[in-house]
Amino acid sequence: MKEQAHPFLEVQKVVKKFGGLVANNKVSLQIGKGEIRGLIGPNGSGKTTLINVITGIYEPEEGNIFYAGKRIDGLQPDVIASLGIMRTFQVARVFRDMTVLENMLIPAFCQGQSRKDAVARAEELLDFALLTRLKDKQAKSLSGGQNMLLQIVRGFMNRDLQLYVMDEPFAGVHQSIKGIILKSIRMMNADKGITFLIISHEMPTVSTLCDKVTVLAKGELIAEGTMEQVANEPQVIDAYLGG
Amino acid sequence: MKWFNLKILGLVVVIIVALLVPLGLSDYWQYVLTVAFFYAIMAASWNLLGGYTGQFSLGHHTFGMLGAYTSSLLMVKAGASLWLSIPAAIAVTMILSLILGIVCLRVHGLYLALITWAFAEVIRNYLRMHYAFTGGDRGLESPLLFGTLQPTPYYYFFLGLTVLCVLLIAVLMRSRIGFYLRSIRDDAIAARSMGVNIVRYKVLAFIVASGIAGMAGAFYGHTIGLISPVLGDFNEMAMIIIFVVIGGMRTQTGPVVGAITVRITMELLREQSEIRIIILSALVIIIMRFFNGGLMEFVRRVKKWVSRRKKPVSAYQ
Repeated sequence: MKEQAHPFLEVQKVVKKFGGLVANNKVSLQIGKGEIRGLIGPNGSGKTTLINVITGIYEPEEGNIFYAGKRIDGLQPDVIASLGIMRTFQVARVFRDMTVLENMLIPAFCQGQSRKDAVARAEELLDFALLTRLKDKQAKSLSGGQNMLLQIVRGFMNRDLQLYVMDEPFAGVHQSIKGIILKSIRMMNADKGITFLIISHEMPTVSTLCDKVTVLAKGELIAEGTMEQVANEPQVIDAYLGG
Repeated sequence: MKWFNLKILGLVVVIIVALLVPLGLSDYWQYVLTVAFFYAIMAASWNLLGGYTGQFSLGHHTFGMLGAYTSSLLMVKAGASLWLSIPAAIAVTMILSLILGIVCLRVHGLYLALITWAFAEVIRNYLRMHYAFTGGDRGLESPLLFGTLQPTPYYYFFLGLTVLCVLLIAVLMRSRIGFYLRSIRDDAIAARSMGVNIVRYKVLAFIVASGIAGMAGAFYGHTIGLISPVLGDFNEMAMIIIFVVIGGMRTQTGPVVGAITVRITMELLREQSEIRIIILSALVIIIMRFFNGGLMEFVRRVKKWVSRRKKPVSAYQ
């Protein structure tokens, strides 16, 4: 069969329903390699559902998802992670009874990295995130912001990471932690060419960080382009102002 | 480092004391401790499942009973040797746990508890009803492991088996598999998103824990000499959970400490009959209320308190 050329991530007409509620209605989007894409929209617009579908938490009723030319819809989350797609959650999901360092080792172990290499890499990342002094503490003893930071740097432990999907990484975190998160995203994007898909409600941050943004409202894609472009779209203004 | 040395020293002392115990104890108390060791293995292996992995199985005691019946039936009915019957008992329990593990994959919490309890009741009643084959409630005579009722060899055997099982679980929990199991218990969705194959490791934990229980049960049958479906009573399961809770869930030595402490306490209170159940229940309430990490939590707090008294902490530290 002839191989079709695909963008790095391509979501094709994805439909996800919960009973009578259509959370994603024929959503299509394309993301290029090395792009930092923002995913915005009012509450309940289907942003988190879409990334849950991309990362395998939900299986779509209709539509396909291609990643690096490979179809990934319907794959289990652990298989998707093994392909180099990591994600974070809106409320940081860390392994609470494990130490900060142990949290970091999980993605590395899943890839078969040696303990020595994994620990060295984890210590490097924890140092970057200013979490070194907490490395032997249980994650449950960390603040919400520190947990968010831990959740984010933990994803970088995946050596094959190519696409990082983040759900509200800046929500409710201290400015200093937000600074570290932003720095890590920019650094990993510039140095390793990692592609990011970031859900955020913080428009100024999205505006400075993201190359393009995709806007969802009521489960449908209503606009796409630079922040300046979409900000002037009447449909976007309507969606945010409840028109 | 200093504390680590102290731990090693403590372990050596415990092992020496355990080796010398039979010299100063009556046959009765040696037997009590042998039974306590069996329950220590059952509790430690359930802790792997219910504690470390968060799979609250109520059918763990059944795998012990299945191990006992498989080995004894093979020896009594088929004339198999111990060298064949014990591995067969382990294999049977592991295969059945694989099936049960697969059935339970999509359920957790209360639903998992109910399915495993139902499985336990099916097996127990099957063994009761097919009395022509299993001996039913009358029981089944099981050939003795050392051909004698004198408890000393059994004491040493079960002591060694307990140490071996605790070590095996400790090694497993320090390995990558242990990391995966703990991550699954803490947050299965996050674990999957990090790349952990939760199906594989949940089933693996089920198989390993049940295999250990099956082996312990098989040897236990050949120690007590007469097995019956009483081994599958829900009381047995409740006791295993109590041992783990009292000793300390998700700790390596807690279930062993819990099983031995509670068994000895119950024996000391034997003459008080039903009072001992009340005392045991009160103990569970007190520990749950004040030390929900069990006796190991109590030890940790004492350790912390002692170290605080020794070293005053500077406000600038």
